Parts: sequence; C-alpha cells; structure tokens
Amino acid sequence: MASLRSMELEINGAQYALTIEPRVTLLDALRENLGLTGTKKGCDQGQCGACTVHVDGERVLACLTLAVQAEGRSIRTIEGLASKDDTLDAVQQAFIEEDAFQCGYCTPGQIMSAVACIREGHAGSDAEIREFMAGNLCRCGAYNGIVAAVRKAAQRIQGAAA
Amino acid sequence: MSLTDSPAKYGSVAGSETASGPLGRAALRGDGSLKVRGAATYALEQPVEGVLHCVLVQSTIGAGRVAAIDRSAAEAAPGVRLVLDAGNSLTLAPMPDFFGNTPPGDSYVPFAREISFNGELIAAVVADTLEQARAAAALLEVTYEEARSVPTFSDPRAGEGRAVDAMTKEWGEPDAAFAEAPVRIEATYETPREYNLPIEPHGLIVHFEADDRLTIYEPTQWVDGTARNYAGWFGLSFDAVRIVSPFIGGGFGSKAQGLPHSAAAAIAAKMLGRPVKLAVTRPQTFTAYGGRPATRQTLRLGAAADGRLLALDHDAASETSVTGTFTETLGIVTKMMYAVPNLSSRQNVVPVNTVLPGPFRAPGKNPSAFAFECAVDELAVELGMDPVDLRRVNEPDHDFETGKPWSSRRLLKCYDVAGEAFGWAGRNPAPRSMREGRQLIGWGMAVGTHPVYAAPGEATVRLLANGSVEVSSSAIDMGTGTYTILAQTAADVLGVPVEKVTVRLGDSRLGRAPVAGGSQLANLMTAAVHKTALAARDELVTLGLTDPNSPLRDQANTLTVADGRIGASRGGAISVGELLAATGRDHLEVTRDTLPEADRTPEERQRMFSTLAGRGALPDLPVSRHSFCAHFIEVRVDEDFGTIRVSRVVTAFDAGRLYNPKLAESQFKGGIVMGIGMALLEEGVTDPRNGRILSSNLADYRIATNADVPEITTISVGEPDYDATPLGGKAVGELSIVGVAPAIANAVYHATGRRVRSLPIKLDDLL
Ligand code: FES
Ligand code: FES
Repeated sequence: MASLRSMELEINGAQYALTIEPRVTLLDALRENLGLTGTKKGCDQGQCGACTVHVDGERVLACLTLAVQAEGRSIRTIEGLASKDDTLDAVQQAFIEEDAFQCGYCTPGQIMSAVACIREGHAGSDAEIREFMAGNLCRCGAYNGIVAAVRKAAQRIQGAAA
Repeated sequence: MSLTDSPAKYGSVAGSETASGPLGRAALRGDGSLKVRGAATYALEQPVEGVLHCVLVQSTIGAGRVAAIDRSAAEAAPGVRLVLDAGNSLTLAPMPDFFGNTPPGDSYVPFAREISFNGELIAAVVADTLEQARAAAALLEVTYEEARSVPTFSDPRAGEGRAVDAMTKEWGEPDAAFAEAPVRIEATYETPREYNLPIEPHGLIVHFEADDRLTIYEPTQWVDGTARNYAGWFGLSFDAVRIVSPFIGGGFGSKAQGLPHSAAAAIAAKMLGRPVKLAVTRPQTFTAYGGRPATRQTLRLGAAADGRLLALDHDAASETSVTGTFTETLGIVTKMMYAVPNLSSRQNVVPVNTVLPGPFRAPGKNPSAFAFECAVDELAVELGMDPVDLRRVNEPDHDFETGKPWSSRRLLKCYDVAGEAFGWAGRNPAPRSMREGRQLIGWGMAVGTHPVYAAPGEATVRLLANGSVEVSSSAIDMGTGTYTILAQTAADVLGVPVEKVTVRLGDSRLGRAPVAGGSQLANLMTAAVHKTALAARDELVTLGLTDPNSPLRDQANTLTVADGRIGASRGGAISVGELLAATGRDHLEVTRDTLPEADRTPEERQRMFSTLAGRGALPDLPVSRHSFCAHFIEVRVDEDFGTIRVSRVVTAFDAGRLYNPKLAESQFKGGIVMGIGMALLEEGVTDPRNGRILSSNLADYRIATNADVPEITTISVGEPDYDATPLGGKAVGELSIVGVAPAIANAVYHATGRRVRSLPIKLDDLL
C-alpha cells in the first residue's frame, strides 16, 4: 500500500514537518496529524466549504487537496488569522458583532471565504456577497448575519486603506 | 430591520423585576471569540493520545440478510487492528430509545445480520490511521441474500400502516358538520423525507480509562441521557461514564439518541483497550440515523359563508421503520390552532424499509403546518376572503383541544405588526395580478406555533474571591446561546457584569440537565440558574450577617449585593472577595435544582434528568402554553423558466420574554432559512428498487445557501409570560420553521395560480 513520505508544510508562517502517506488530504493532515483543528470537516466531498483554507492566498477546499500538493506553498488557516498580539481580524470581529453564526462549526470556513471574498473585490453589494459566499453552507442559517458581517468588515478594511 | 433595532417598540422585556439587568439585553455571544478563532473544541478535536480510527461499513441492499462477511483481506491490510461484525462483536445490554423501542432479545449488537434497510450498519474496521481504516473497509467481502424491500410508503405494497391510538381525537359532529357546511375544501398534501444535516457530522471518541470507567467525547443534545445510555449498554453505573460535549456543531434533533455507530466505537475501544475515534461520513449520516419521515395528509375543512370554521377532518400518515415506531406527530398542534367546534384527527404510521425516522426541528408541528396552513389558504380562496381576515375570524379565545385558557396568545398582534411591516394591505388578491417584467410576484402568509415544554434542571453557582462567578451544568449549547443567557441570568441576580461570569456546560460531571429538545432548555435552565444564584446571594448575606469573622456582622438586618460588593444599604460595603477572605474561604458554592419538592433517592433524582421522567414530575398546569408566529413572504417566479426565489420575509413572533433578543433573532432567522430550504430545495430521494438514498450528500440533497436567502425581518411582539415559565419566556428554537413552507406555497399560488401540494416546490411544478 501507500508508503510514508516526509514533507514540510508552511502553515500560518511556521514550518511543520510530518511523515504521512501521500493519500492524506490537507484537511486530515491539519486536523489529525498537526492538531490544527480550527479547520472543519463537514462533508469531505467538496460540497460544504467548512474546510476552506488559503493556499498562496487563494481559497482552497482542504478536503479536496492532498497535503503533498501544498508542499512548498504558503497555507493559512483560521488559527493564523488573528495578529501576533491576538487582535482579531476585521472579519472575525464583525462575525462576533453581527452574530454571524450559531453552532460555529461552519464559521472558520465562512471566515476564510469572507477574507478572500473581500480581498477579491467581491463584497461590493449584498447580492454579490451572497453569491460569492454561496459555497459555504450554514445549516444554522446564519446567512443574514454573515452578509452583514462581510459588508461591515469590507467597509472597515476599505476605510482603513483609504 | 431586526429585533434589536427597536427594542423599545416591540421587543420589550419590561415587566420583569430584573428588566433593567443583564437578562433580556442583546449581549454578544459569550463563546463567539472561541468560535471565530477556530478554538472551540468539538468532539472529534479533543486531544486524546493514541487514538485508533474506526470506519463504518453499511449494507448495500434494502432487505434480506448478510450471508457472510469475509474479513480476511481487511484484517491483513496494513495498520488494521480489528474488523468487527455481528459474528465477533462484544454484546451489550439492550437499551430503549426515547420512543420506547428496545432491540429484541436480551443482548444487543449494533451490527445487523438481518437487513431491514439500505445503509444499515453491518461492520466496522479499526486501524492506526483513518486512511488505513478507510482502505481496509473497502476490502470487506460481503455476501447478501437479498429480499424484496418496500422502500417508501409511496410503494403500493406498503399498505395503509397501523393507527397510532394516541393520535386519535374527535369532538363534536365532524362528519355531519362537514356535510352541511356551505363552503368546503378537501385536499391531500405531501412532504418528502428531510434530513437534519448538522454541518458537524456525527462521531465520537471513546476512551476506557479502566475496564469499568470510560470517557466519551461526543456531540450530544443530552449529556445525562447519553451517559445513562452508555452505562446501560455496558452494565456500568451512571457515574462510571463521563460524557464531554462542550460544543456541538448543530443537532436539530438528531444528536440525542444512543445510535448504533456510537455502540460500535465503544465496543471497539473496549475490545482493543485503546481510545477509538469514529467519524460518520456525510453520506453515511443519511442512514446512520433517521431524519423526518415522509408524510401524507388529507384535510377537509368546512366553513360558514363568513369564514367561521365548522368542521376539520385531519387524516395523516407518516413513514416508520419495519423494526420500530416513530410517530411524526402530525396532529399535535392542528387541534389547538383555531376555533373549530367539530373536529376529527387521526394518524397512521406505515412501516417501510428505512432507518427509524427521528426528531427534526419542530417534529409534527412543521409538516402539519404545511398541510393545514395551505388548506386554510385554499379555503380563503374558496370564500373569496383575505387569508389574514379568515384567520382572525377563527382566532380562538381558549384552547379548543384542552379547554384551557391561553397563558398568552398574541397572534392577532403578530398579524397587525408583521402585516403592516410587510405592506400586506397593498396585496391584490387575484393570482398572477402582480408582476415586474417577466417576474410574477406572489405574496403569501401562514402561521406557526410551538408548545412550551418544561422539565426540571440543576445548576451550580460559585462565587469566587476575585469577584467573579462560575455557573455550571451538564446542559448544552449547540448554538442556541445557553452559555450566554446563563451568564446573563447569573449576572442579573448577583449584580455583576456579564463578563465576570464564566459558564461551563456539556460535561456529565456537572449538575444534571434534561434534553435540549422541544425548545425547552433556555426556559428551564435560566430558571435553575436564577434559583441557584438567588440561593448563593442569600448564603453570602447570611455569611456577612452571622459569621464571627465577618466585618459586616451585626451591621444591619440585611445586606445588599451589587457590583461585586456587599454591604448595608447605608454604610460601608466591602467586596465579595474581602468577605470571603475574612471568613476564611476562597469561594462559596451552591447547587440547586427545580425538581418539585419531594424526598428522592439519588437514583430517582438521576432518573429525573437522564430519562423523560422529569417532564412527568411537573404538575399539570391550568393554562395552555404556546409560542406563535406569523410569516409574510414574497416570492418571485420567472414566468419563462419557472424558477422561484424568496425575495422578502417579514415574521412577527410571540415567544414571550426573550432572554437575549440578538441570539433569539439568530434562532428565528435560522428556522426561517431552514423553512425556505424545506419549501423549495430539500428532498430525500430513494431508489424505488432497493431503498438506497440517492441524494445522500450535500450536493444532491440541497439545503439553502447564502444566495437562496433574502434579508429577513423579524419582529418580537412577545411579553413576559410568567404563567408559561418562571422567567417569562416561551418556546424559541423550533418555532420559526413552522409555517414558512406553507407561506411560500401560498405565495407561489398567488404568483402563478398553481397550487402545489407536494414539497419541495420545483420549477417543473410551474411549467
Ligand atoms: S469538508 Fe471540504 S467542502 Fe465540506
Ligand atoms: S453556524 Fe452552525 S452551521 Fe453555520
């Protein structure tokens, strides 16, 4: 069967060495091998968005990505979003203020998507936010709060940049 | 617009002795910071050293038996520790489920030999890694003897099923009244199988620390019931089992039972003497436990020309499994909703080859509202009456089913307020009369209700020397806000800021609590914490007045506790910490429960919380207690393509006092979102040949996405209802889904002139 393979992953600016089979997904490597459980598994089939992380700044579904594919790339997960002094990212802060979640299980994926959605320039209107956040399912139905949080964070980020 | 924008206008919590305190305020979610950081630890994320991974294998036939399982290839695969099936499994003691079904025989194995549905658990593989277990599971050679299955109740061979006696009710002369009624309608409505689908799939980690002692990390809506179930399976005492469930990634009714996969993981852990982790895969969740069964309901309504209802006949059926009975209680709120002098209601359950269905948000209430509220709309059309006016005419001044007065019923106010905010007065009643370009616009409305259930709870409150407060209980928070509102409750009584209160939940080592189901937990746990915090305050005052070392001794007849300080109303106050230090303690701890006063053995007490016995312990009340809501919904239907979009939702709620309007609003909106999915998207599709669930994933079983949901307006018209619950709240969590689907169906009728009586409503229904 599959043989073990050593690799190094750069996650949230730190290097992690691990020895795993090549068939291990990035999602399972994070959750089962590295103890980075902030990234969630809702389907393992690319259908829910709970596992969304950034690889080289782009949103990626970690359940559809093998860990080896992320070698030599820069991975960012929910654990790496707050600043070093633990100040929350504008999106994280807005999610709390707008109560953009209930159970919280889809939330890390929503937030990683939202950060990218704003950076990609797709937070221009509520309709655009809804469309570009539609890949992240929330069974608690926090969508109104999510749209409000993304709108608010986008305004704050643009305000800070202006 | 939202509940929190205009608290003074509608969302008032005035009238409570503590209205000025933290309870009732729109405090931010206490566990929010952990959740947005990815630092909230869900069950499968608990750091347990040396776990093995367990993968389930489910049957691929709909009925018959497993003739043989060849385990050899799987057992020889790399990393495999154990391959389990009915032939080599440890046996457990059978335990009953909530509904009174107990596995037959005097021992229980979670792996089936006789197959009664497609997707039934037949084997499990345990290996060092998840990848190894998954690969080995694919190597199992299963030989079946397949029998013919009856997968759904639409299959003619399913027959009519059997009557559920408890669901039969009749008063007046329904047949005669219907026959003589000047205006009559009769129609049949259907809802498909629907699945709970919390985004966190089921799973658990089982750790036997010793032969007779285990810890289970598992998302559960009922820590104490779950502990009791494992204790029963393994013949251990309640205290030998610890359940840890601090965060739950959604449940919606599905995470409270002892399910076969949980038994499988526990058996593996026991047999191997190692901790075992089991994650049910998303497709497996569709048959690892049951969702809402398919329903079929025929309604006959007879009315006078002025709209007064004269007769109601409700003939209902729902699916169950061939091995057990689950009743989707379709008549549970149809009998109390309106003033109906002649009524007949009955229900059959129809056994088919399915996993036993289970509770899913507002069981019974939700699908019955689809049928009933559509029928009322049809009656309004028949009468040529506005559907709100028709409901007003039939507003009951008391509960016609029980004869009791309402504890409160502000549904008329819901019509006023939501109708005005929606602009209902501007509705042209004729179908297809409102449009914008090629888009047909439809306005529909419907109502929802949910009973107020009650059970006792228990809480512990600790006052610490540094002025902070700890509240703990085995009650849970699955996003419902329990952490936050219990902190608010304690802060309210003890006069400290909410930030000073820490809440610990979801651990069977803490105080007892009943199931988080039936929308009861918020009311009963705020009551338990309120009572306990009052007792803690009293003990603190007693300490201050009577302890020989108290600096406040003999200063006054009583002392006041506020802002973390205690003292006479005139005169000096000292901090709570100073008093505790002076009297030689580092904390003061009080535990109280809300069981009715009685002498009880520890076993009886534990039974009150870990079984449904607690509910029965409470006295029958002289009032009928329900929450109510009225949904007003706009849809836009593309005339050429038949696509349906929900474009506006305005809902008014009478759910009594809201302990936290912001979090209640999230629950209200969440239920409406789920209702939009139910109306337009969600459909469990079954292969008629063998009962395989064809839609067993999140792409084929579609739930509402962000792009399917418009801005939703929620308005609270509730007033504190102290006849309903001790702190004045009514039912919140499940209320709002009830009535959404019929409001949408009624709007679709108004837009298109097509009456669709089977959910979900699809574009081909309109072309
Ligand atoms: S877990 Fe990756 S998309 Fe669902
Ligand atoms: S917050 Fe529960 S699934 Fe989104």
